[in-house]
Amino acid sequence: MDNSSGNNIQQTAATSGQQNPADTGASGVRRKAVVIGGNRIPFARTGGAYARSSNQDMLTAALDGLVARFGLQDERIGEVAAGAVLKHSRDFNLTRESVLGSALSAETPAYDVQQACATGLETVVGLANKIKLGQIESGIAGGVDTASDAPIAVSEGLREVLLSVSRAKSLKEKLTAVSKLRPKDLAPDAPSTGEPRTGLSMGEHQALTTAHWEISREAQDELALASHRNLAAAYGRGFFDDLVTPYRGLSKDSNMRPDTTMEKLAKLSPVFGKNLGQGATMTAGNSTPLTDGASTVLLGSEDYARSRNLPILADVVDAEAGAVDFVHGKEGLLMAPVYAAPRLLARNGLTLEDFDFFEIHEAFAGTVLSTLAAWEDAGFCRTRLGLDKPFGKVDRSKLNVNGSSLAAGHPFAATGGRIVATLAKMLHEKGSGRGLISVCAAGGQGVVAILEAR
Amino acid sequence: MGDKYLNLVNSGITKDLAKRLGLPRPAHLRRYHPGAPLVTGPVLVVGKGAGADAAASTLLDWNLDVRRHSGPKEKLGAIVLALDAIEHPDDLAAPVLETGAALKGLQPGGRVISISRPATAGDPTAVAAARQGVDGLLRSIAHELRGGATGNGILLTDGVDAAATSVTGALRFFLSGRSAYVDGQFLLVGSGKGSVPTDWERPLAGQVAVVTGAARGIGAAIARTLRRDGADVVVVDVPAAGDHLADVANEIGGTALQLDITADDAGQRILDHALGRYGRLDIVIHNAGITRDKLLANMDESKWNSVLAVNVAAQLRINEQLMSSGGFNKSPRIVSLASTSGIAGNRGQTNYAASKAAVIGMVRATAPLLANQDGTINAVAPGFIETEMTARMPLATREVARRLNSLQQGGRPADVAETVAFLAGSSAGGISGQVLRVCGQNLVGA
Amino acid sequence: MSSVRLPEIPSLSRLYLAAAGAAAKNRVTGGQRRLSLPAVRHEVHSVTVDVERLTQYQHLLHEPARDVLPSGFIHAVAFPVAMSVMTDEDFPLPLLGMIHLRNHVEHSRPIQFTEPLDIAAWPENLSGHRAGTQMDMVVEVSVGADLVWRGVSTYLAKGVYLPGIDSLRDEQDSRGDFAPPAPTAQWRLGLDTGRSYAAVSGDFNPIHLSGVAAKALGMRRSIAHGMYLASRVLATARPDGAEAFNWDIEFGAPVFLPGTVALSVKDRNERQEQWQGVDYVAWNPRSSRKHFSGSVTAM
Repeated sequence: MDNSSGNNIQQTAATSGQQNPADTGASGVRRKAVVIGGNRIPFARTGGAYARSSNQDMLTAALDGLVARFGLQDERIGEVAAGAVLKHSRDFNLTRESVLGSALSAETPAYDVQQACATGLETVVGLANKIKLGQIESGIAGGVDTASDAPIAVSEGLREVLLSVSRAKSLKEKLTAVSKLRPKDLAPDAPSTGEPRTGLSMGEHQALTTAHWEISREAQDELALASHRNLAAAYGRGFFDDLVTPYRGLSKDSNMRPDTTMEKLAKLSPVFGKNLGQGATMTAGNSTPLTDGASTVLLGSEDYARSRNLPILADVVDAEAGAVDFVHGKEGLLMAPVYAAPRLLARNGLTLEDFDFFEIHEAFAGTVLSTLAAWEDAGFCRTRLGLDKPFGKVDRSKLNVNGSSLAAGHPFAATGGRIVATLAKMLHEKGSGRGLISVCAAGGQGVVAILEAR
Repeated sequence: MGDKYLNLVNSGITKDLAKRLGLPRPAHLRRYHPGAPLVTGPVLVVGKGAGADAAASTLLDWNLDVRRHSGPKEKLGAIVLALDAIEHPDDLAAPVLETGAALKGLQPGGRVISISRPATAGDPTAVAAARQGVDGLLRSIAHELRGGATGNGILLTDGVDAAATSVTGALRFFLSGRSAYVDGQFLLVGSGKGSVPTDWERPLAGQVAVVTGAARGIGAAIARTLRRDGADVVVVDVPAAGDHLADVANEIGGTALQLDITADDAGQRILDHALGRYGRLDIVIHNAGITRDKLLANMDESKWNSVLAVNVAAQLRINEQLMSSGGFNKSPRIVSLASTSGIAGNRGQTNYAASKAAVIGMVRATAPLLANQDGTINAVAPGFIETEMTARMPLATREVARRLNSLQQGGRPADVAETVAFLAGSSAGGISGQVLRVCGQNLVGA
Repeated sequence: MSSVRLPEIPSLSRLYLAAAGAAAKNRVTGGQRRLSLPAVRHEVHSVTVDVERLTQYQHLLHEPARDVLPSGFIHAVAFPVAMSVMTDEDFPLPLLGMIHLRNHVEHSRPIQFTEPLDIAAWPENLSGHRAGTQMDMVVEVSVGADLVWRGVSTYLAKGVYLPGIDSLRDEQDSRGDFAPPAPTAQWRLGLDTGRSYAAVSGDFNPIHLSGVAAKALGMRRSIAHGMYLASRVLATARPDGAEAFNWDIEFGAPVFLPGTVALSVKDRNERQEQWQGVDYVAWNPRSSRKHFSGSVTAM
């Protein structure tokens, strides 16, 4: 009974999706938001080339490279939106500060966004929407993260004492407040990658999902190998010449291992889900390492791009965010895109067959493979997604064809910008077609988006 | 990079000391900056004939203080020695001796510029002798000049009017601080083509230029200079140098194109970028170059091949793509960076010297191909230029190399850039297939 | 049943002191124990909660800092009243060293922190256990005429066998049968977990405070409060929409501090629109010994 009503909803969504709602507004045809290009700095393994670089340093470098590529010096951009997942409190205005330090006009406004690993993609979606609404003509979306220069917080005890001291009016009150300090309060409180509500690391969460979908070690290693080879090949043919600007002596992603093999990957021991016994399949090779880096994407209206003779690579068609309840064990932490994508495609009257490229962020090889498995599973698609048949099969030859996070690395908020710029260029080179982006995020979230070639 | 010696012998106690010891005393060169006077004092025009008249009239147009006869003990900013009308070596004596008498009054940073015609096989023998005599004469004057003064010559091909645009352009270039490190050189004006810019301070206004190897050193200086002269500049360098390239692009308000110029489609990508972003392409500066020094006996294939591939093969391929594209045909300008090593050769640089000599050959052969579109192609051959590269040379070698020229110092990247910018400008439209050295009259390969 | 009306919530530290005194006295005098529970209920009327303490509690237990009282917080607020009963001279079991076996709570409606609470506590069901003697403490919290919260805590006085009360020696220890499911969460509990919870609950039972104090009472190390674990799992397991619910927890092996606890929370019927309930179980990820299990269900 429940299923049939679910199907009805799905059909309704699919029918209304014949007309793309992203293109039409109250006033008729809404204008388009296009991807003009992108720039990122090479991603570096944490503690490597950018060990001493701050988020602001890296975001500024990525912005400057973008400015240089597109001649935006001293230009007032409509708005710059970016963010970082691991952020110092002093970086409360990170994006604006980076803009001020960049070659852009100081009159360019900026704001920070934080949606965990989906930050970068969400900045693209948000600015594209503003462009479509006519609020801005141009925008720069971006993201940055460093695990090398991560904020270390003071302990809760020390924090409370310090706050009390600052509230205290008299010397006596201040001394009383200080007297409450205990030696253990002086130990710093390092950030953890654990989910606040479960205490499990992202890897441990994914390990559960990977085991649930019975994703083999070999399949995960194969995906990792493909990621490295695809990324290396893309560098080799100069694909990243106009997407990446070197920084701090690094000109390629330092995590990339062009010469890795299945044999090398097979030698690594599991690092997540070790309590799962035979089900422990996730290694350092098929999981992304902590990475530092920054990325940016230049967006604009068609008029903006044309009036400045800037290239138009792709349209930002539509996007959808999703979230799952992982706290009560209902779904895997990183499975939100599995739910968001069918909603997005239904709204746009599309199926997986209609896509030429799939960019599924490789948080872990298991994440990508669990996502694909879920979309092919009739039972799951019926009961969880309310579909009367499997959502569909992703053609593996269209998946992450120029590599993804397993090879490039994953500086959390910078990944969305990397993917959008990469996919937009791929679509433009092909000259036609669509690409689907899927980015999972902490907190059981995910954002998916559609780009169309220009 | 700085020349400490030059500073020492030009200031304070060490200046006097150097004087007494008879040490070489290189001077601070008079360099161009926007708004700088063209010359520092009156200009004496020596000689008779069309060249002298045309020069005097041009100089007057520029509101300069022009003298046809030198007064006693008069301080001069420049001497223009017009010898285009001489027909016999005997004709040299009067103007040359008059010049000699005036030389003592030449101010520091002064100029001696000869205007003459090249000796060719078809000339009457006496004419040819006289004309060729100017070559030795001018180069020797340049050697004798002190205080940062230079001597250079303009050669007019037979049939080219002494008032031709590029004679004017060359005259202005040699007079100005733009030619600070060009010394003892001749520049041949081969046609009356070209046009005088509406604003001599922004001669490249409205032009779109591409500079390869622009991330640092001479390339970056060229990009800055072209921008200063009014051009929109696309800076190109290998992806690995992209961070420095971005800095240069942002400094000059240009655009960065990360590109390996040895890529098969490099020319097309340059053209796509320039036409896509700016709608035109006027100037291409082939500056990118590498060195992989090794004695030939120890040379391996990769060292040889990479130098030839970057320094000349890439230029050949890019030029071919640009010239056949239809998008680079309105008075196009190509300037290639050669090297004095390519002229004189250099121990340990067989690959580099071969590639740079090859560039000179390419320039000569390409010039006629561009003539139909009023295009030009020229080479600039730098001598010892103070760059990050030369800063890494051993101290003794560097010191010797620095002093081994008439100006007794190394040049700056900007000196090369000024010459490149001049050749890329409309006023140099009558100059093509030429090699101009920026070497301070280096003794090597003279 | 007689009723003792206390003027205010009694001080827990004073009650612990009294309990320690009674224990010492018993040891010296070998005092006679009663064989039945006293028929008495202790009451405190019109209790209002301290909002600062509420906020601290919510932060510590990962509860959203709403204006309604978390169920575990009500237990903490009412606990001194129950303690007051258990430290009564007539109470047959020694308070110190008593083990919390299980808890059952019926939480009838959301309770605003501004509502005055009438709290009553009394003991019931003195009965045998294979390891000693157990009894239930019943606590009822009312607002006006409405019973809004009712909790039954079962405690075991280990090694105390009262004449006339049979110990249940046939009860199986099911510890060996437990096969841990896939965890949905993992708690890393620091050494200060006991002290932090004591600070917000007022329960300064020494076995939770430090290893030294715990050893004095026969424990290897300090252990986490049962109610800390119960309250924290409740914060995780209870969906925000559930306003009236029952929750149950059964305690197993104690959680030594510092320590790591693996937890599995599972929805009973994930596809139903109407929330039915959640089952949970927690264990030691190294030894696979079960720490506690229970459920939260719709009322």
